Amino acid sequence: MVKRAVTKRRRRPESTSHRHEAGRCLHILRELSAFIDDELSNNICGEIRRHLGACPRCEEFVASLRQTVSLCRRSPAPVLSPDDRARMREKILAAARAR
Amino acid sequence: MAPSRQSHSSDGHPASSHGEADTFDALYRDNIDLMYRYASRLCGETEAAKDLVQETFLNAYRGFKNFRGDAQISTWLYTIASRACLRMRRRRKGAPERELSLDEFIPTSDGEFRLQIPVEGLNPEDALQNKQLREALDTAIGKLPKKYKMALVLRDMEGLSAKEVGAIMGLSERAVKSRLHRARLFVRRELSARGLAEDTASHQGKSIT
Repeated sequence: MVKRAVTKRRRRPESTSHRHEAGRCLHILRELSAFIDDELSNNICGEIRRHLGACPRCEEFVASLRQTVSLCRRSPAPVLSPDDRARMREKILAAARAR
Repeated sequence: MAPSRQSHSSDGHPASSHGEADTFDALYRDNIDLMYRYASRLCGETEAAKDLVQETFLNAYRGFKNFRGDAQISTWLYTIASRACLRMRRRRKGAPERELSLDEFIPTSDGEFRLQIPVEGLNPEDALQNKQLREALDTAIGKLPKKYKMALVLRDMEGLSAKEVGAIMGLSERAVKSRLHRARLFVRRELSARGLAEDTASHQGKSIT
């Protein structure tokens, strides 16, 4: 039980705060959409996974990018009412005949 | 007054007005929901979306004889709608089209690495029940420069392939992926602490506690 309580506490890497090595992180950042869309070669994928494994902040970043994409994918879209549908059809046909 | 079901009039001339109307009705009926959904996602508000749908079908009606059938009807309509959208928005307000550079998406402070509204452990549908999150998502997408928004909407919301989006936007697949990536990074940042804090500040006269 004691052990469990300890592991439950989240370690915050404040003292060893992730310092973005500008070149490297930009390199990784460039590939992240291809990474989450599974479009990269095994080599590059492995390289990115290793970086993420060593870097909790970047791991969080990728998770949040994935979440963003799934929110977009599932975002509900408004639906047109049957009345609006019919009204718009009339307007379009009227406009088409007017010319 | 029953509409003729034939595309030839009685004197043998093709494409009578009844025939055209029938063709239009089929096109409209089959695609209106798809086009309204696309237009709503591009425009963000109902009236503008309706204007865009009307413009799209009007252009489709006029251009139907030019449709060569070498693309799917839906791809053709998406293309017409996208072009109409670029024209309409330009007319409405001359908001400058901004390029998004990757550098601006590198997080610099703590709150920027994760989404501000926690969605972990929730499936997207449940997360989207959260009104604040839904609004923040819509606002973020609404703020995207158009060409990025189009790539995101077509690919991640309409579910088209990069190749199809390329055909619609007149871009290579590579260019589509690059735009899509920047668009996703933009929306992600808007949903992070930084994006939401900036939003609150601009709404509440910069009084963040």
